Amino acid sequence: MDNLGRILMVEDDPKDVELTLMALEEYNLVNEVVVLGDGAEALDYLYCRGNFTDRTSENPAVLLLDLKLPKVDGLEVLQQIKSDQKLRMIPVVVLTSSREERDMVASYKLGVNAYVVKPVDFHEFVNAIKELGVFWAVINEPPPGSIKKN
Amino acid sequence: MAQQKPTIPKDLPPILRYGLAVGSVALALGLALLLERSNFRGVEFPLFLFAIAVSVWYAGLWPGVLAVVLSSLAFNYYFTEPLYTFYVARVDVPYYVVFILFASLLTWFSTIRRRVEQQLLQSQDELRKEVAERTQQASLLNLTHDTIIARDMSDNITFWNRGAEELYGWSWQEAVGKHSQQLLQTEFPIPIEEIRAELLRTGRWEGELRKTKADGSSVVVASRWSLRQDEQGRPTTILETNNDISERKQREEEIRKLNVELGKRTIDLEVSNKELEAFAYSVSHDLRAPLRHMVGFTELLQKHIGSTLDEKGHRYTRIILESAKKMGALIDDLLAFSRIGRAETRETMVSLEQLVKEVLTDMQPETDGRKIAWKVGALPNLYGDRSMLKLALVNLISNAVKFTRKQPQPEIEIASMETKQDGVVVFVRDNGVGFDMKYAHKLFGVFQRLHQSDSFEGTGIGLATVQRIIHRHGGRVWAESLVDRGATFFFSVPSRRR
Repeated sequence: MDNLGRILMVEDDPKDVELTLMALEEYNLVNEVVVLGDGAEALDYLYCRGNFTDRTSENPAVLLLDLKLPKVDGLEVLQQIKSDQKLRMIPVVVLTSSREERDMVASYKLGVNAYVVKPVDFHEFVNAIKELGVFWAVINEPPPGSIKKN
Repeated sequence: MAQQKPTIPKDLPPILRYGLAVGSVALALGLALLLERSNFRGVEFPLFLFAIAVSVWYAGLWPGVLAVVLSSLAFNYYFTEPLYTFYVARVDVPYYVVFILFASLLTWFSTIRRRVEQQLLQSQDELRKEVAERTQQASLLNLTHDTIIARDMSDNITFWNRGAEELYGWSWQEAVGKHSQQLLQTEFPIPIEEIRAELLRTGRWEGELRKTKADGSSVVVASRWSLRQDEQGRPTTILETNNDISERKQREEEIRKLNVELGKRTIDLEVSNKELEAFAYSVSHDLRAPLRHMVGFTELLQKHIGSTLDEKGHRYTRIILESAKKMGALIDDLLAFSRIGRAETRETMVSLEQLVKEVLTDMQPETDGRKIAWKVGALPNLYGDRSMLKLALVNLISNAVKFTRKQPQPEIEIASMETKQDGVVVFVRDNGVGFDMKYAHKLFGVFQRLHQSDSFEGTGIGLATVQRIIHRHGGRVWAESLVDRGATFFFSVPSRRR
């Protein structure tokens, strides 16, 4: 399952992970999600190294990225991705609690594809995640080299 | 002036001068005749010479000539053969020649003497003038408050003015003749040899010196030295002026200390600002997540036990959800409020009229169902941060909308006026519930509310935000109200921003 995911989600908070997966459940997108707990793991995954040397080398169709992450934070991961020829085409959606302007500005400067503030309201949150999942994993045509649909 | 006898014959009137010539010759003749009668022979010639000498010496050239003529005539008449005639024998001619030569010689001497006398007087005059000038200069130097000291090349004090007496406490009688550096215990900032070298090379030196007064206290002076040289170019005197700069030095030191202190405080402030920013950042990230989880899992719980939940259970979960949302709103407002203080302003020319239009359009969803009578007057343009000013207007106008809710015929006026004290003032007036003026001072505090939350919702941060924005623009904000008679909120626009 891990190797097939088209949605790569980098999120260190298991409760957020749970809520997010629940939102995606409705569209049967849960099987498509690969969840990683910190920025270092995310980079290992993308570069097929460390624990991920065996995975197929295609890129995910979308990367849902939290900003406040252990080890390597979201902005660093974003910077790394957008400055790498092979990875820069991956659509990256920042999914964060923070409405801080400087995070937003920094993300867009680094070339983020979307910036979403997680709503406190549960229904809004669920809707936002659903729409994100559907748009990026179903409606959007991913760049060449991405993992194909199951 | 010429206190000696009037030695210049021209000073005497001519009659006296010629009288002197005639008189002296007559006296010589009388004496000669008297002596001849007493059988003293041969004295008449020196006597006439003496008369000529007196005339020439004391009466000048022409009386001298007269004396020569008269002496010659008298000598010829009374003392040469033939007696009592004016016949001139050849053998007597040398007498007259001697008369003339003697007179010429004495005239010459007299001229020289007079010239010497003249010169002497002149130089005496000059000397007197110079003495007067010097005396005046010295007394002028004494007049100045500045300290002026002169010393010779071995540093022995030769002049010590009143300023020096006052500054250092030694009288000139005590100071003159003393070794300058020893008397004042001068501390030099650089070796004295270097100072001397510069003084000899350029003729000047200046710097700050520490010296010790008669009472033992020390003083810092700005010292200027200049070198005086004699006609041969040899240095003779060092003139030194001193200005007491102890006080200035002390102030400079104080200013330096204050600057250091200020620098430290600035750093402290920057550090605490950074901490505050980090705090706000972490609040923004970390405080929201648990709220989201509370809301999310309460919803899930509701769904999970849905049908088995009784009325009370529903109420409890609803309260949990509402509280979490309220807390979310509080966090958002607080963060927005702190952002106003931290954010850099981006200033442009902003049309408040345009801005009010935008705000009213944005608020349409809230105001749609209500019959609010809007009255928007002329509003100024002002130089400021557009988004902040908009936020201020949003807060003021939405307050007006909120607090007129119970009013059957709500009226809201947004306009500006010219006042004496504050210049142009923008105001938002409503006919809503108003507030008691005795709580007016609490109005703009963070989380201060003058109404209970169940009658009017809100976090209590709107007016604090307005105040912060207006303050950042250099203006003032205040309000007037009567309970149930509406409220008016004013803010001033500093003239430099228009």
